[in-house]
Amino acid sequence: MENNTLDKAVSADYQLGFEVDIETDTIEAGLDEETIRFISAKKEEPLWMLEIRLKAFKKWQKMSEPHWAHLNYEPIDYQSISYFSAPKNAPDSLDEVDPKILEAYKKLGIPLDEQKQLQGIAVDAVFDSVSVKTTYSEELQKHGVIFCSISEAIQDHPELVKKYMFSVVPMTDNYFAALNSAVFTDGTFVYIPKGVRCPMELSTYFRINALNTGQFERTLIIADEGSYVSYNEGCSAPTRDEHQLHAAVVELITMKDAEIKYSTIQNWYPGDEDGKGGIYNFVTKRGLCKGDNSKISWTQVETGSAITWKYPSCVLKGDNSVGEFYSVAVTTLAQQADTGTKMIHLGKNTSSTIVSKGISAMKGQNIYRGLVKVAKSATNARNHSECDSLLIGDQCGAHTFPYLESKDNQGQIEHEASTSKISDEQLFYLRQRGISEEDAVSMIVHGFCKEVFSQLPMEYAVEAKALLNLTLEGSVG
Amino acid sequence: MLTIKNLHANIGDNKILQGLDLTLEAGKVHVIMGPNGAGKSTLSKAIVGHYDVEVTEGSIDYKGKDIVKLPAEERALEGIFMSFQNPTEIPGVNNAYFLRTALNAKLKHEGKEELNAAEFLRVMREKLSSLEMKTDMLSRSLNEGFSGGEKKRNEILQMLILKPDVIILDEIDSGLDIDALKAVAEGINSMQDGKRTFLVITHYRRLLDYLTPDYIHVLKNGKILKTAGVELVDKLEEEGYDWIKAE
Amino acid sequence: MMKLTDLQNKLQNEFQIAESKSELVEKFLDLGLPNKKSEAYRYANMDKLFDQEFETLEYNAKELAYSDKILIVNGEVISMPKGIRVYYANTDEQNINLEHYDPLYFLGHLLSKKSIIIEIDGDSEVDILHRITKASTLIHYRIVIKTQVNKHASIYEHFEFDNAHESLLLYGYDVDVQKDSTLTFVKNQHSDEDAPTIIASHDIKVEKQASLTLQSFDFGNAPALQLFNIVLEEHAHVDMGQLLYLWGNVKRGTISKIIHRGESSHSVQEAKNILEGSARGIFDAIIKVEHSAKYTKTQQNSKTILLGEATYMVAKPQLEIYIDELEASHGSTIGQLDIEQLFYLRSRGITEVEARKLLIVAFANKLIGTIRDKRQEELINQNFEKAFYAQNQKTNLL
Repeated sequence: MENNTLDKAVSADYQLGFEVDIETDTIEAGLDEETIRFISAKKEEPLWMLEIRLKAFKKWQKMSEPHWAHLNYEPIDYQSISYFSAPKNAPDSLDEVDPKILEAYKKLGIPLDEQKQLQGIAVDAVFDSVSVKTTYSEELQKHGVIFCSISEAIQDHPELVKKYMFSVVPMTDNYFAALNSAVFTDGTFVYIPKGVRCPMELSTYFRINALNTGQFERTLIIADEGSYVSYNEGCSAPTRDEHQLHAAVVELITMKDAEIKYSTIQNWYPGDEDGKGGIYNFVTKRGLCKGDNSKISWTQVETGSAITWKYPSCVLKGDNSVGEFYSVAVTTLAQQADTGTKMIHLGKNTSSTIVSKGISAMKGQNIYRGLVKVAKSATNARNHSECDSLLIGDQCGAHTFPYLESKDNQGQIEHEASTSKISDEQLFYLRQRGISEEDAVSMIVHGFCKEVFSQLPMEYAVEAKALLNLTLEGSVG
Repeated sequence: MLTIKNLHANIGDNKILQGLDLTLEAGKVHVIMGPNGAGKSTLSKAIVGHYDVEVTEGSIDYKGKDIVKLPAEERALEGIFMSFQNPTEIPGVNNAYFLRTALNAKLKHEGKEELNAAEFLRVMREKLSSLEMKTDMLSRSLNEGFSGGEKKRNEILQMLILKPDVIILDEIDSGLDIDALKAVAEGINSMQDGKRTFLVITHYRRLLDYLTPDYIHVLKNGKILKTAGVELVDKLEEEGYDWIKAE
Repeated sequence: MMKLTDLQNKLQNEFQIAESKSELVEKFLDLGLPNKKSEAYRYANMDKLFDQEFETLEYNAKELAYSDKILIVNGEVISMPKGIRVYYANTDEQNINLEHYDPLYFLGHLLSKKSIIIEIDGDSEVDILHRITKASTLIHYRIVIKTQVNKHASIYEHFEFDNAHESLLLYGYDVDVQKDSTLTFVKNQHSDEDAPTIIASHDIKVEKQASLTLQSFDFGNAPALQLFNIVLEEHAHVDMGQLLYLWGNVKRGTISKIIHRGESSHSVQEAKNILEGSARGIFDAIIKVEHSAKYTKTQQNSKTILLGEATYMVAKPQLEIYIDELEASHGSTIGQLDIEQLFYLRSRGITEVEARKLLIVAFANKLIGTIRDKRQEELINQNFEKAFYAQNQKTNLL
């Protein structure tokens, strides 16, 4: 196939790049102790939280940015970022949310209004640094489910926050996690009580709007014994020439017999084809299968961001616990993604599955980096990994870096990977049946990603497929 | 229906077709026979616009225009269908989804209403049973892990639902047992309506026994060297191709 | 007496004040002696080695005797077969590959002012025996192999150790596999209590249409690491096989980087690892396909059987790809003997121990069986079985 056709086919315009003009409370760029005191004061936080933030900040100052990933980017100037931006007039109910914000979410297709709520998805919407609206909280309360912003949780459920925050991702786990610990502004908190199967999908939508701001959200989900929850997150940002930093931390904890299913559709602004603009996405996500027979499953569809640095991981501590990672990562334009997972087997009879599908087009560089580590205590561990890469065009790159380390002489670890381009034969076969080149590419790419999409909840699978089409959209030669 | 004039075509550096002339008449069954390497498959690939084949000279006139430069899918939408000798396997692409996409592309091209999933399934069930195919093949990946017979039936299935005007069958009989051959032949015959044109490429008469060929063309040295009625098959089976020289 | 860390410091100081700066020294200082953070040596954990005091030796070129093989004793060439030219020559900085990733490749060149040159004329086979007989000594040498265009050469490498514990053998080959030629390289290395730590760091270039077969058979409980940097030109071909059979408390393995530079180049890499006791096996292999290397075919595979209670396998098969016209795949498994196969054999009346042996030997034989030279195959097979029985007698399996 002609390269320019392909380029067109994979370089659709970013559709969510609009900017909303609302009044915001934004502090000046820069980061010092005062910034942190300011954020904490804005959030009316208790003293213990401020102390934690300051401690994290001191540690962060002594750390240095990691550069082991296969990524090239301009140095980040941490002093040129504004660490807090919030829409003025924080709302108490949906009626009080700035209509412009509602309008923005409507454009994004996010169910904040009453009509969309009928679909039965509870949503927490985070706009720049604050949570603007959490829907369905009351309905969920009936089941004892806590679904609120992390700021509210710090106020209302300090015992849970104190106990579990930093228990999976320690404050100084890595440079970006430490930064987040110091300056996180909002995020989502979920607690599912013993034996409760959360009656609806929970969802958070993150939006960066303000100029020169970073977004540092923190999510904490606790599934108590025998409970189940499916949680989804989505994200977008306006089209800008400057890079913006997103450094989030997500911690998941499952007790005995509990299960968390965590799905992400990441569509931050990717920048343009010369690498101008776009989000730097440095995210630490980790789940702890604390109890026996518990399960954590990560599914991600990564199509946005200029730089992605992200390894949703599972620490399989409980016996018979299960970790899963399903990923589709698309890098086109000048995007670079260094993403994968870590599966740490500690408990007996633990098992993990990794399915990673990387698609590179134009100048995109797609890196799978995964670690499967089996400790001696993890008798009879099982892992199966499958990492496939699809290359579209001859300027892109696909790299596979799997690390397998096993100390278990009764376990089984398997890794398989392949790298290929869309074959001319497949493309021709479809075209001979009257399917356009663009549709044929899209069909083959969807086939390639099928195993991962099938893991997403129905509503999100549709969104993910549409998003993939958009990313690959263009015209036919 | 389709007129090929002075066609020259290369595959890589090899000149395969060297001034081939052939006219396919509406409603007729044309059979191409010829020794290995004569260019039979190259001819069918040239007609459907396969990427391996470079046409250097000549024309293929179809529905009033030269299609040599037309992209493959447009030729398909205009009604040219080829069954592949070795149908390509495409992992992860659901067969039913593929068939529906292809069918709807065709319907849309003809300005007709596209079929929804239920209507499509109804059409499929009917066609599947006529080919003695199991319905589970709809839920499998396209041609992946299909046996030789299953792949060929799947080709015929596509022909039945796409209802093309020109049907090219490139060694559709290879690797088929008698039952499969009969089912495939019945599928082909059910498409005969006095308007459609068939171009059958084969080495053996056993398929021809089930069809009613109108013309036998002998392709040799990159040209059609002889055209005759069905009686020519017997002679070719007995004497081979050596005796055929340019007329 | 010398310490490698001291040497590094000395070089550092000299380098700062030097008027003309050697690129070789710069490169070495840039990478630095391996520590816990250096990627290549991370799992081998050889830090102590660089802080250890070693005796050093003077190398004096001597008149060479003739024998059936090239004999190198403690870094000095003693004898060679007729028909092969072996001599010393100054190392030319021009011939050092500054793109190499291994600091000890550069260190080896820095220490060894002269290289041993082996010129193989025409189509021939040659055996090289490395004999080490000194304890607590640093022994270093570089060997340059010169082959001829359109010829077929085979090199069989053997080792003998006598009271060489606490020593470090730092050596390696610089090879340019000439256009249209083939080179087969078989390493047979059984090293245990008497052996030094061995670090073999190689730099290999495979020219157009040339073909290289590299097979290594590493058995034992003495620490060792082999490192390869291999560049493939157009239509070049490399076929690598590595068998590790380790026991005791050793860390040992292969680190490699295969770079596809020319079009239609082809690489196959197959590692098999059998670990007993508390051994650690390392397979850390990158295949890089550069933008210029269209139509590359590459395949990489590592299979491991963990037999011991405290074994540890680190497998990192990595692909780094910058072009879409290629076929690339890799796989890696870590597990143990297949219980169904074991059961099948036992249901036919074979004892469990015998069945295990059958399966392990079958696993190893997939590589041993590919040695083209029957004499070498027999030799390595005997070596393997001897080691296997010795281990299993110790663990009361037999």
